[in-house]
Amino acid sequence: MMARYLIRRLLMGVTTIFVTTIAVTLLIHLVPGDPVQIMYAQSQGTTPEQLEAIRDRLGLNDPLPLQYLSFLGRLLEGDLGQTIRGQQPVLELLLERLPNTLALAGAAMVLAVAIGLPIGFLAAYRRGSWVDSTLMIAAIAGVSVPHFWLGLVLMFVFAVNLGWLPVAGTGPANLILPAITLGLSNAAIVARMTRSSMIDVMSQDFVRTAHAKGLPKAMILNAHVMRAGLVPIVTMMGLQFTYMMGGAIVVENIFAWNGIGRLAIDAIFQRDYPLIQGFILVFATTVVIVSLLIDLAYALLDPRIRRSA
Amino acid sequence: MTTLPRLRLCLAGALALGTALPAAAQDNEIVWARYGDIDTLDPHRATSTLSLQVWSLIYDTLMATDESGAPVPNLATSYEVSEDGTEYTFTLAEGVTCHDGTPLDAQDVKYTVDRAFDDAEPSVTQSSWGPVTSAEVIDPLTVKLTLGSPFVALIPFLADSFSSIICDSNAEAEGFGSSVAIGSGPWKLESWTRGDRISLAAFDDYVNHGKLSANPGRPYMDRLTIVTVPEAQARLAGLRTGEIHVAEPPLDDVSALQSGDEIDIVVAENTGQNVFWEFANRAPFDDVRLRQAVAHATDVDTALMLIYGDLSIPEQCPISRGVFGNDQEFCAQHRPQYDPERARELLAEAGYGPSNPLETNLLVWTGGKRDRLAEVFQAQLAEVGINAQIEMMDIGTMNARVRQENEREDGKASMDMMTWSWYDPDILYALWHTPGAYRGFTSPELDAMLEKTRVTSGDARDAAVRDVMAYLLENAIHVPLYTPGWEWVFAIRSEVEGFKVAPFVYPIFSDVRIGD
Amino acid sequence: MTAFAPSDAPRRTRSFWWRVLMQPAGAIACAIIVLLLAAAGLADLLAPHDPTRMAAGRPLTPPSLAYPMGTDELGRDVLSRIMYGARLTLRIGAIAVGISLVLGLTVGLLAAYLRGWLEALLMRSVDVLFSFTETLIALAFVAVLGPSLTNAMIAVGVAGIPFYARTAYASALSERSKPWFEGAVAAGAGPGRLLFLHLLPNVMPTMIVVATLGLSNAILAAAALSFLGLGAQPPQPEWGFMLSAGRDFFSRAPWLMLFPGLAIALTVLAFNLAGDALREAMDPRSLLREDAR
Repeated sequence: MMARYLIRRLLMGVTTIFVTTIAVTLLIHLVPGDPVQIMYAQSQGTTPEQLEAIRDRLGLNDPLPLQYLSFLGRLLEGDLGQTIRGQQPVLELLLERLPNTLALAGAAMVLAVAIGLPIGFLAAYRRGSWVDSTLMIAAIAGVSVPHFWLGLVLMFVFAVNLGWLPVAGTGPANLILPAITLGLSNAAIVARMTRSSMIDVMSQDFVRTAHAKGLPKAMILNAHVMRAGLVPIVTMMGLQFTYMMGGAIVVENIFAWNGIGRLAIDAIFQRDYPLIQGFILVFATTVVIVSLLIDLAYALLDPRIRRSA
Repeated sequence: MTTLPRLRLCLAGALALGTALPAAAQDNEIVWARYGDIDTLDPHRATSTLSLQVWSLIYDTLMATDESGAPVPNLATSYEVSEDGTEYTFTLAEGVTCHDGTPLDAQDVKYTVDRAFDDAEPSVTQSSWGPVTSAEVIDPLTVKLTLGSPFVALIPFLADSFSSIICDSNAEAEGFGSSVAIGSGPWKLESWTRGDRISLAAFDDYVNHGKLSANPGRPYMDRLTIVTVPEAQARLAGLRTGEIHVAEPPLDDVSALQSGDEIDIVVAENTGQNVFWEFANRAPFDDVRLRQAVAHATDVDTALMLIYGDLSIPEQCPISRGVFGNDQEFCAQHRPQYDPERARELLAEAGYGPSNPLETNLLVWTGGKRDRLAEVFQAQLAEVGINAQIEMMDIGTMNARVRQENEREDGKASMDMMTWSWYDPDILYALWHTPGAYRGFTSPELDAMLEKTRVTSGDARDAAVRDVMAYLLENAIHVPLYTPGWEWVFAIRSEVEGFKVAPFVYPIFSDVRIGD
Repeated sequence: MTAFAPSDAPRRTRSFWWRVLMQPAGAIACAIIVLLLAAAGLADLLAPHDPTRMAAGRPLTPPSLAYPMGTDELGRDVLSRIMYGARLTLRIGAIAVGISLVLGLTVGLLAAYLRGWLEALLMRSVDVLFSFTETLIALAFVAVLGPSLTNAMIAVGVAGIPFYARTAYASALSERSKPWFEGAVAAGAGPGRLLFLHLLPNVMPTMIVVATLGLSNAILAAAALSFLGLGAQPPQPEWGFMLSAGRDFFSRAPWLMLFPGLAIALTVLAFNLAGDALREAMDPRSLLREDAR
């Protein structure tokens, strides 16, 4: 049963990646101007014949389906082509930086959970009280603060003005501020999620029964509710992580964190389509794999899925 | 809670994976921070100033420039030109070594030229070799370049990093351009972490044959690390803490820094950079009156003062100070000067007025506060009744877009604030001789004038260049605005001694020592 | 704020808007939104200066009575720019959410109504799009269309479609399974009637809440694009763009970063609160809990 659920998810993931490959092939045809012209835009020496030859060599004159097939073929060999700017190998460039983005998203996730989960528990536990209201207002305010603003302020205060943290490079010390920036805004989301999930569980029958049996509230929370309440939270982690990956794109650009997000924004500015293609593909694949892993964790955790589905 | 510890573990793994400890500034290391990274280590695959500056440290060139920007011998100790001006024979310096230990000889020059003209993957800067058709090895220290037509600008061209000599051992090296770069310059490549840093080490066997530095050999410092720090305020903070030694400062903070004693400011001279208006060669800007109106509407002095203070100055000529043929007085007589009244008259003559304003795009390269400057120009144009809609874009995108705008038959008017830097007036040939780098304005009489600048030399060439400039200015085809325009201001910590910037914005680190 | 009303609480006894406003969240949201609308609508009357006029004051004048939010480095009045920026921001939000809502509703309702393989096709496509994440879709669109404010609006709008479609679908599906729908079918109502007169009105309340919360999302996303330079072009007084331009002056003129940031935060907060208040007032136990976002 569980296997069937996972196979369905796996198929979904494969479909997503498949659709992405089609989308990125189309992308290069949707844009005005062709990549070869951009590649040689600053060069006055190249002749139209030379440009045409390059276009031929890159397969840009082939019919679209053929281009797609050769794109797939090269993809299977791990070749995503070369960047327009500087002709660097696209896949190598992206894979070099992907760990940095994962590190940022991961660190931010740890922070978001470490801050958001206890707050959510507390708010649910003291539901309806002023503690709950205060925490939830803080959370909604937290969601509302633009992270590019928060990030800039943190950077200017702690790295620029106080000089506590290095300004250059991509090392653990440089990770602190971007992780906090990304983590804080997502901690608010985690807190809201946790609270609502816990409240849901608390109103379920087995909790009421436990309560009726006279078990103390704190104990019920620990023993039963926590485990049941965590299930939906873990499911949300997959989605959370993709949010983090999305948020990382902006945050990387504030702190010059050397991840794929910064690479992508530069690529968009430079209209470096092979790199944009590669970025979309790598990003989508990463998200799919992470979601699959989280689904797997979820399936292992939740007995209901193991039984039904 | 069972999943959380597992999650943490996995994240900790990801953390360890993605992050190498950045080396803190070590003894005898100099750290140079810039807003962006190089595109490639391969001098045939990019055109950005950021790339050129680094190539000039790793590679050497046949010629070099003196302080005024004039070409002087370097790897080539001397050269001879054939009677008809189509054959250049260079004698190479003895005992030049590539970073991998192989000697640099005529074969390496030939390899470089052949590679630049390889039809399958021509160099994006092959025109920096002019009309060269072949390179021939005469003997190990003599190489002959044959040209398709006489070309006097070849010698200055060979002084620039576009014409860097690439050691032929790169051909066998895996990853040339991304992880390997074998040159014969003062610094050799240790590693390049793309987007983050370039680590260079002093090349022990380097002998300086003509580059602009007092040091005859190996750089004094052991290591040169070039880091990418996009945020100007962050670069400044790094300078203050000592994490960074040399960097482009936030331009707005320059005057404050100049009055302090912690950080010194070096402003590059003879950059060859020229920022100018140009116009899509179709209606409505095919009407010379409208181009002149734009020129008359532009108050360069006021705009520069507001944005750059005294860091940049108005430029009257289509080729900037430091380049052969530049003459402010001569150009000022031919360039339409700021005169909003005249601009309004011209617009009215062409059928535009307050009720019928001229609508145009205004393409601008991002960065260097050019967006702010463009806003000021936009306001000035609005004063005379020209509605310019600013579009910010990367320089590569802009180059492609300008060409597209020129090739279109109709559509909204388009003008752009173009930026070019070149070390010889031959740039005007590239830009405005048929078919034109951007397929923009061309004319038979201008073609004839430009051709003359390629075959004459000395005073005759000077006169030919003046004719071209007068034509471009009077017809408001190339309306010069200011110089320099990008990456020309350097802030250095005061204990850094011997840092200088050669013409055309090439920083020299060979003489640098860090004092107390 | 979001005190959980028990599900058996008396519903729809007092006027709906009264219940929205009686919550602190609703009241605060309402106040900010009214302020925003006033700033945007009356900018021509209320703004002390022309937002693009240079040297309205001396460059980098700190906040004062004459320039309550100071001036920028070109001497433009920041308050006036913020006010005109409100107009831009509301337009961005409305257009982006409009795109998401209309297309999302269409897809969601059609899928729920048609059932069968079309339903599967539509909703699986939505699932695929959903797993791309909104950021990626928006960036891909900007990459194709090129940076401009209009393109940023479209990109953000398109990126939102999968979420809106999913919510509309879930909501329509639950309406469909109710007895009255069967009744309408039995009474011989045609597809148009079923879709527009029966399904749509019943799905709308849910979608209004989604759209209100979506406004804050869209405004934030578009501001982020402009901040990165992929949206507004100079001299548009777009807040994200102003914030980005102000960072060069952080130490000398912090107000250039402070006010645009505050404006974005307050606006986003207002729509978040408003969405929450609407949700509470409508149905505290609807499928629109936080974890559905």
